[in-house]
Amino acid sequence: MIVCVAVVGHQNNPLYIQSFTEADDALKLHHIVHCSLDVVDERVNNPKKSGPMLNETFLGLLYPIENYKVYGYLTNTKVKFILVTTDLDVKDADVRNFFRRFHAAYVDAVSNPFHVPGKKITSRTFAERVSTIVKSFGFSSAG
Amino acid sequence: MEEYPEELRTPPVTLASLVGCPELHPLISTHLLSEQPPINTLALPDFSKISLFNKKVDPDSTATSPSPSLGILKRDWLLKHRTKLPSVLAVLFPAHHLAADPAYWLQLCSHLDFIKTVVRGRNIKFVIVVVIQTNADEISEDRMIALRKRAEVDAKHVVVLNPNDTSELKQTLHRHAHCGLHSLFFSALFKGTCFEFLTVVSWSRLASSISELAVAYYREEGRRIKQRIEKKNISSVELIVRYCFKVAVYAEFRSDWTEALKFYEEAYHTLREIVGVTTRLPAVQRLVEIKSISEQLHFKISTLLLHSGKVTEAVTWFRQHKNAYKRLVGAPEGIFLHWEWMSRQFLVFGELLETSSKIIQGISPIIQATSSKPLTEWEYYSAYYYQLAAHYLSEKRSALELTISMSETSNEIDNVADSVVPSVYVGQFTRLLEQGDKVDMLPLTDEEYIRYAVSEGKRFQDSLEIIVLLKKAYESFNSMKIQRVSSFCGFQMAREYFAEGDISNAKQIFDSIASLYRKEGWVTLLWNVLGYLRECSRKNGTIKDFVEYSLEMAALPISADTGVQRDSGPAGPANLRQREIVHNEVFELVGGASGLETNEHPSNLNITGDESLQLEVDLVSPLRLAMLASVAFHEQTIKPGTSTLITVSLLSHLPLTVEIDQLEIQFNQSKCNFFIANAKKTQSSNGIQQHRTETAPSLSLESKKWLRLTHDIQSDQSGKLECLSVIAKIGSHLTICCRADSPASLDSVPLWTLDGCVQTVPIKDPILVLSGQKSTQVEEPDPQVDLHLGASGPALVGEIFLVPVTLVSKGHDVYSGELKINLVDVKGGGLFSPRDSEPYATDSHHVQLLGISGPEGEDDSQLYSDKIKKIQQSFGLISVPILKNGDSWSCKLEIKWHRPKPIMLYVSLGYTPYCNELNAQSVHVHKHLQIEGQTAIVLNHYYLMPFRRDPLLLSKNKQASEFGQSESLPLNQKNVLIVSAKNCTELPLRLKSVSIEVEDDAEKTCSIQHGSEELLNPCLIVPGEEFKKIFLVSSNMNISKLKLGTVCLRWRRDLGVEEQSASTSTLSWVVTKQKLPDVNVELPPLIVSFECPPYAIVGDPFTYYIRISNQTQLLQEVKYSLADAQSFVLSGYHDDTVHVLPKSEHILSYKLVPLVSGMQQLPKFSMTSVRYSAAYQPSNSSNSVFVFPSKPHFKAAVSTNNRVESVANE
Repeated sequence: MIVCVAVVGHQNNPLYIQSFTEADDALKLHHIVHCSLDVVDERVNNPKKSGPMLNETFLGLLYPIENYKVYGYLTNTKVKFILVTTDLDVKDADVRNFFRRFHAAYVDAVSNPFHVPGKKITSRTFAERVSTIVKSFGFSSAG
Repeated sequence: MEEYPEELRTPPVTLASLVGCPELHPLISTHLLSEQPPINTLALPDFSKISLFNKKVDPDSTATSPSPSLGILKRDWLLKHRTKLPSVLAVLFPAHHLAADPAYWLQLCSHLDFIKTVVRGRNIKFVIVVVIQTNADEISEDRMIALRKRAEVDAKHVVVLNPNDTSELKQTLHRHAHCGLHSLFFSALFKGTCFEFLTVVSWSRLASSISELAVAYYREEGRRIKQRIEKKNISSVELIVRYCFKVAVYAEFRSDWTEALKFYEEAYHTLREIVGVTTRLPAVQRLVEIKSISEQLHFKISTLLLHSGKVTEAVTWFRQHKNAYKRLVGAPEGIFLHWEWMSRQFLVFGELLETSSKIIQGISPIIQATSSKPLTEWEYYSAYYYQLAAHYLSEKRSALELTISMSETSNEIDNVADSVVPSVYVGQFTRLLEQGDKVDMLPLTDEEYIRYAVSEGKRFQDSLEIIVLLKKAYESFNSMKIQRVSSFCGFQMAREYFAEGDISNAKQIFDSIASLYRKEGWVTLLWNVLGYLRECSRKNGTIKDFVEYSLEMAALPISADTGVQRDSGPAGPANLRQREIVHNEVFELVGGASGLETNEHPSNLNITGDESLQLEVDLVSPLRLAMLASVAFHEQTIKPGTSTLITVSLLSHLPLTVEIDQLEIQFNQSKCNFFIANAKKTQSSNGIQQHRTETAPSLSLESKKWLRLTHDIQSDQSGKLECLSVIAKIGSHLTICCRADSPASLDSVPLWTLDGCVQTVPIKDPILVLSGQKSTQVEEPDPQVDLHLGASGPALVGEIFLVPVTLVSKGHDVYSGELKINLVDVKGGGLFSPRDSEPYATDSHHVQLLGISGPEGEDDSQLYSDKIKKIQQSFGLISVPILKNGDSWSCKLEIKWHRPKPIMLYVSLGYTPYCNELNAQSVHVHKHLQIEGQTAIVLNHYYLMPFRRDPLLLSKNKQASEFGQSESLPLNQKNVLIVSAKNCTELPLRLKSVSIEVEDDAEKTCSIQHGSEELLNPCLIVPGEEFKKIFLVSSNMNISKLKLGTVCLRWRRDLGVEEQSASTSTLSWVVTKQKLPDVNVELPPLIVSFECPPYAIVGDPFTYYIRISNQTQLLQEVKYSLADAQSFVLSGYHDDTVHVLPKSEHILSYKLVPLVSGMQQLPKFSMTSVRYSAAYQPSNSSNSVFVFPSKPHFKAAVSTNNRVESVANE
């Protein structure tokens, strides 16, 4: 189950962060998302370690922590998407698929002429779309 | 890792036992320990102690007994094999026991029998060591064979040892070096016939045979147990685990790491199968046992993997281990045991990783992207494991607290815990029941065990442990510059400190991580940290911090509910309502209300009496969120005394409106400071303020709305007027001092820019928003003094050029005036001052400021005595006396040009219009003037021979080939030097004299006539006119470089109409000098001179003589020719060759009859000297005569002695 998704801007500032848990551990998830930026930075700054993942937007599993797994995605405009999930067995293809749809939603949201680049995404449509994508996560593999 | 027993943490070491000859034991032990691999020794004092190795009757160690085992691993088994049960027994006999008395031999044999029986039961190997004192000791061969047979050992396991033979030992044991060693050794060689098969073994031989036997022992033991596993008729799985463990340990004993690893893994996997199968123990204890054994096995496996450098395998292994046991939580009341166990797994693996990464340098974790579950680089950091260990430990703490709280309700006394001890099996506990002398071990029920575990758990302070773990992780991440994770660790650590009541530590860490969250705009995280910080300052009683943190929290851009509700620390949920609560709380506090006593937290925060609290908000302060001041002057420059408008704008992001009592606006000119009072508030007119106070109808600062106040301001002082800060007074205690910002350079508050709020501007004026500045330039008052530079026309090189400077005061008095003069090269060069760069150094004197002469009629000495006057090459400074309004003052600048060059002259006057020195506000007037420098007079010169007299100068003929040859003059002849001076200016000049000055020290090599005569009257030369003067030069010395001297010209400008009145004494003459080039004086071998009458008459014949005079001592052959001329009829030889005798002359005479009147060219004469093969042609100019048509009549011939006259152009 996806517990948290986030969009992080150039200065590593949160543009959109939403948790999807019943339990009130949003703050902890914020911390986890924030920490994962270190991994993204390291991946981006030391591309040789990640080798074949050069030029790929999908960063893969960033790090496992406690009961969560954190995945990352880096757009061409260097906006980071972070996904926190509690599932132990996640297929890379599912995550890729999720990020692809999430990216599309993000592009639509920032294409809004009233959106100022670099500011928080406050669009309600975007939030709804994201929650739809989050809910459908994992079903594609099951079905 | 430290909590593991030592035998588990270190690799096992072979154990050998020694018996007999106890005096040698220390020596042998030390030696064996220094072997590679080392061998531990167990020294037995006498033979009776061998019975220790007797096999106990142990029912479950026999494979055949089918009884189910009570546990998996025995706690002391490993220790027993490492310290108590040797693999090899070394029996030491002194040599004389073999040789001498039969009684000794019998005793020896009985010892041997006893040893054999004991050792066989255990399969212990043994080796017999016969100790000889010297190599001279003789042991008979028979006895040795008998000994061997008796002991039933191989020959190679009977060794003869001479402990004094240190030939090899000394390398390792220095203190046993003996003298006379070599002699002993050699004597042994000679006597060695009886030791053919019993060579005296060295120390290393002994060690190697012991280790060989030890390896054999461990191999056999391992094989024996392996066979049991392979039989597969083992009753319980527990035994398989135990056997695998034992095989692995035996393999470790003989350093067979691969096999050890294989069997440890086997044991681990078998153990995993037991989970959920076995019912041997109550559920909780069963799990505890399995976990502790898997922990041991895992530890061994990880250690082996890491030691062989397989980091990736080790990490993968750990991950599997963690995942396998993660879900085995167990019964709810025992959850804390699980978390504790998990925490320990992470901690131990982290420590292993840290120590091994120190050994194996530079493992670069390569992420295998190919494998289905790739490792992340994070899993190679030990800090990651520490962090998670801390996490699980905190889970354990909360689970334990829950268990305690539940158990306390049942209100049981945990007396059971006192008698619970670890049982003989790893991971099991039993209750010790003492009944008199009898001690019984009773199994525990799960409830009892949990109670015991809880009471044990209470004894540990988990939070300290958590802090230690987090600190390790924090520092490690910090050193790797992984700042966000380290901040998270820091946050958790600080939270622990906070919970422990260590406020100062907590605050320090919270502060450092708050800055990161501020920078990156993680508002919810910042909110949380600030909440802790606020509580810290509340507990510390530091009211200023409290107010600052509260204001920052209240101003954070949290509008909607961020979903952070629970677990948000003392800050409370991050939403607008909570912000308002914080806001109200802080303003109640500073508003002098009853403080925070009314709150549920009794607080030590209160402001009493006149205490005031001033907050500084600079350009980087986080409190810019709470209040931001922007100041703009409406004009960029203002005149002194005139007023302009200034707009002060304040912005606050606090959630509620703030009422400001009074604003103070401060400038760098403190006279301009002013106050803005709130009309709504009753202003206590406390300080009798010398500053003005404006009143604004309302000073309420609404949330996210600019409060704009526009007032006029004026300054009398010129210079920069800058607004420094805006101080807002809120309530009776709080003042907030905001550093002023220009609207043009106003950066929006960082956190709020990232938020989606609408940007507002501090000033409505759209131009000022972009260009408004917080400072303005107050101009200096307009100068009311005329500065006039009165130079006219170009300056002439060489003369002292005067530039009159006139100051006329028109409305200002001039006090402490200073005149600065600068000469600047027009072509863009720098000042002609000495500090200029090198290329100008040579130029520095081209134009020179010589001096400044005071106003006419004023005495110079009086002028300069007390005034500043500084003159440099191109810079001058002169002080101006006090001038009253309407007065004037003038001076003259004396500038001299050395080269023709245009110059820009800058003159600036600085003065103060007031006498008062304190109000030193200077006024400046600037003037500049371009002045051309021109060369006044160009000097030229040339030489002539006397009329119709031409010497043959040999050097002249060569001149065609050699350029730059100096001019040649004939020796002993009167040469004419004509010096011409041409006026190149556009001004008339007066010439006083033209003279040739011979250098004093030069020897008199030539005579110059008319050299230094002056003109009677200064001669006027109009522009373009040329003045000529003739000198006669003769030299009687044949030198190639004759220095003629310098032409010296004295001149001045023509004064025009004043010329008559000007007295010659006051006028200075400019001297222009030009050195004449050196000339070559040589003896001409031939001189040709022509003689003919001064004029001729048509038809009247005359004689034309040509004299060729030979100046040499040689006979000269001369070929000559005379060309025909149309104007004359000629008689004589046209061409001929003549010989001229030495020092004599040959005269050619021709009769000429002129045919045509007018200026006529005489027939052209040319000649060639055969000796010098030099052709010669006299010049044309001297070769003409005027022919009158008829005889003229002259009144008188004018001839004066005075030869000095001006000669017209040719």
